[in-house]
Amino acid sequence: MLSETVTTLLFYLFAVAAVLLALGVVTSQRILRAAVYLAGVLVCTAGYYLLLDMEFLAGIQVLVYIGGIVVLLVFAIMLTSSPEFREERPPVHRNLLGLLGAGAFFVLTVILLARTKFAVNADGARPENEVAEIGRNLLNYDVGGYVLPFEIISLLLLAALIGGIVIARKKGKNAETGTES
Amino acid sequence: MTTPLLIQAPGPMHWLVLAALLFSIGMYGLLTRRNAIGILMSVELMLNAAALNFIIFNRFVMPGKVDGELMAIFIIAVAAAEVVVGMAIFVSMFKQHKTSDVTRINLLKG
Repeated sequence: MLSETVTTLLFYLFAVAAVLLALGVVTSQRILRAAVYLAGVLVCTAGYYLLLDMEFLAGIQVLVYIGGIVVLLVFAIMLTSSPEFREERPPVHRNLLGLLGAGAFFVLTVILLARTKFAVNADGARPENEVAEIGRNLLNYDVGGYVLPFEIISLLLLAALIGGIVIARKKGKNAETGTES
Repeated sequence: MTTPLLIQAPGPMHWLVLAALLFSIGMYGLLTRRNAIGILMSVELMLNAAALNFIIFNRFVMPGKVDGELMAIFIIAVAAAEVVVGMAIFVSMFKQHKTSDVTRINLLKG
């Protein structure tokens, strides 16, 4: 694996980039630009997964999140707003409430994290063949296996697929012929 | 002998604080955005931070297993489903109301 100094350097590089891009996502007045920043945050997260030795997940992140979800979001933006559409800055009271809520959550989380002792075991070996291990876990129906969530996720994806088609489909095409579709 | 926290090699604490920071930024966006798609993107940020948390605990608490990784894969799948349905709703909402400003959608308000 990489040396400790390189890991530290990469960690802070990605951390600064991810936080700045995330701030861009939530404050940018042009919504399309926010989508591009979101893609940047997701790339940084894929970099984190690589730093944490999860190569398979980094690939999934790039393929599904950036290749699928962000592209879908960009389509949604182009279908629902004109390019010169700008979102005005949030009013002061809403801004304050948002800052207060998010800041309080952050401070509370950090305090809780600092006071908790985790059973850290960072030097343990990763599984020999990570992808094979993931596949075996997904199809394992013993105690601690993941076959039930796996099946539920597949049903959820099918339901979302059908739901998406039904909600966004063009209506009134067959209205004059009187057929239901 | 303890080195200052900022120049140490990143341990679980560094990673967890980073994930919490990303989650809080997403939460701020969720509370202040008015555009429906902006809200959806903030939720994506939060989901992403949550998946990162699972990975951190997988790596630092039980590196020999892949449970956290599986959870992250499930989160990604759920996020994809959420975006599909959300986008369909926003597109049809925009067709009906010609806006995607959530403060002006009050169809279900009594």
